[in-house]
Amino acid sequence: MDIPAMRANFAKAAAVGDEAPLYFYSHLFLSHPATRALFPLSMAHQRDRLFAALGEVVARVDDLDSLVPILQQLGRDHRKFGTVAAHYPAVGASLLATLQHFDDDWNEALARDWTAAYGLVADVMIGAAEESVDQPAWWEAEVVEHERRTVDVAVLRLRPSQELPYEPGQSISVETDVRPKLWRYYSPATAPRADGLLEIHVKAHDGGPVSTALVRRVGVGTVVRLGPPLGHLTLDAESERDVLLVAGGMGLAPLKSIVDHVARTGPPRRVDLFVGARIEEQLYDRADLERLAAEHNWLTVTFAVSADKQSPLEQGDVGGVALQHGPWTNRDAYVAGPAPMVEDTVGRLLAHGVPAERVRSEVFSPSRPSPTLEGEVTE
Amino acid sequence: MSTDQVPGPDAGRRLAPGDVHNVRFHRATMVHPGYVDDEVDRFLAGVAQEMAALHAEKAELRDQVHALQAQVSGVLTPPPPSEQAVRLLASAQQTADNYVAEAEEFSRQMTHDARAQAEEQLRRARENAGAIIQAAQEAATRLVGSPPAQSPAGERTTHELEEQVAYLKAFARATRTQLRSYLEALLSDVETEWGKADPAGVPQPPLRTSAQRGDGNLAPAPRNVAAEVSATDGS
Repeated sequence: MDIPAMRANFAKAAAVGDEAPLYFYSHLFLSHPATRALFPLSMAHQRDRLFAALGEVVARVDDLDSLVPILQQLGRDHRKFGTVAAHYPAVGASLLATLQHFDDDWNEALARDWTAAYGLVADVMIGAAEESVDQPAWWEAEVVEHERRTVDVAVLRLRPSQELPYEPGQSISVETDVRPKLWRYYSPATAPRADGLLEIHVKAHDGGPVSTALVRRVGVGTVVRLGPPLGHLTLDAESERDVLLVAGGMGLAPLKSIVDHVARTGPPRRVDLFVGARIEEQLYDRADLERLAAEHNWLTVTFAVSADKQSPLEQGDVGGVALQHGPWTNRDAYVAGPAPMVEDTVGRLLAHGVPAERVRSEVFSPSRPSPTLEGEVTE
Repeated sequence: MSTDQVPGPDAGRRLAPGDVHNVRFHRATMVHPGYVDDEVDRFLAGVAQEMAALHAEKAELRDQVHALQAQVSGVLTPPPPSEQAVRLLASAQQTADNYVAEAEEFSRQMTHDARAQAEEQLRRARENAGAIIQAAQEAATRLVGSPPAQSPAGERTTHELEEQVAYLKAFARATRTQLRSYLEALLSDVETEWGKADPAGVPQPPLRTSAQRGDGNLAPAPRNVAAEVSATDGS
């Protein structure tokens, strides 16, 4: 395989920007009309993602150790989209047609190399997908509770029809019939329970098709689809250290699942949870957290507001407030929230002397459409 | 079905399975027992020829099957779409994408503005509420009169406020009691004097009398305030 020639060829297609993926998908849908149903109405984001992913694959094509796990993850994750082995040759043909279309120097050797390379990629993805057939491609789950907590935040309780294993702190993608083929990641705020119920917190972000639908259009009885769990902000269950949790905004959900996990399975550890918001009204889960704090003497919950001078709660950025209550140097720290808050808090904790390996963090952007190739759901 | 003639290699006629099954070789002479050699040889030659023909046919058919399979799969794989079709679909898709993007942008703007307005309203309502509370507090301070010397800064401790509240409650009760006894006295005047009197025979306006008497009646009441406050607590 002439990798430099393939990279040069790919660069030509990548250089034309949106044109290339536009050509690719149009070619694919015309050759195999049935594949259109696998994609959402608007293809704009899809096109960005496809070439970003292909670019990664091309960049790593001579580093199989890092490429293969990525492809396996992609293969497993594509099952929920309804992708089957028969789709792979169709995609391959359209990909070759696209690469040929944007390269005037296309030749037989390139065609052969790309066919071979795509064959390998497809084999790895199909293989990984087939290995995970013991797991459903997606889970159906019924909304059994839907509570509007603020103007734009809802807390949903879902009951999956089959057991959905996940770790506290991970994320699960959600799709509804109201917005078909649009998957968004949410973190369960509950640790796995015997009855399978899981709680998700959704904030309708302005113009967001899925989040607004989950907050305002979905109700009790709606059936949604859930994809396999992903994400790295998982609880170190081996550790018996006390825990410090710092949550900003919707970053509360994964940290609440850690609280729930400690409550359910132990080992007994002290947990200090700091929850930050701009104004008091945005602390949408306050009542439930106060209930938990009253039930468990090992749990302390502190609320902080950063732009609400009237509030009797602690004032300031949640990271700063947490630090005032220290020292935390012997804790396992978990931080989740918007990017500036996570950055600020992690910086303060490191400066405070918490070793970096004991600070775990995850940035929660308002919308989380798809994982990166490394399987992270942070944008 | 002739048993006279043993079938052999023959350009005109194929050897059938039935021929093999039904073949009857003639007995040779007593001197030379067994089948007639000629006939057996002839038959074997026929079998060999037939097998060769079958092999050839089979090869030919296999080639044909391959060719047809290739043809069929060529038919199932649709011909690559024309450039024109791809361009048409691409622009249709872009149009759709733009509409969706516009709708999302519109919704983003709407919700953004609505949220900004809601927050502004909330802020103003809070300010108003704060102003009303402050005005009420000032009014209360004025009504109570300037607080005693212990709060020169104008800022009162909870304890001081509680004392004032208790004082005001007692004051209200005392006033109520005084008023009640005054009114009762008035009523009894009306009953006893004005009611039974002959209107024509009333020498003086009784109201004035009552008022005068009321003034007089008020005098002992304050002495009993403390006792009545505890007795009529909550009335």
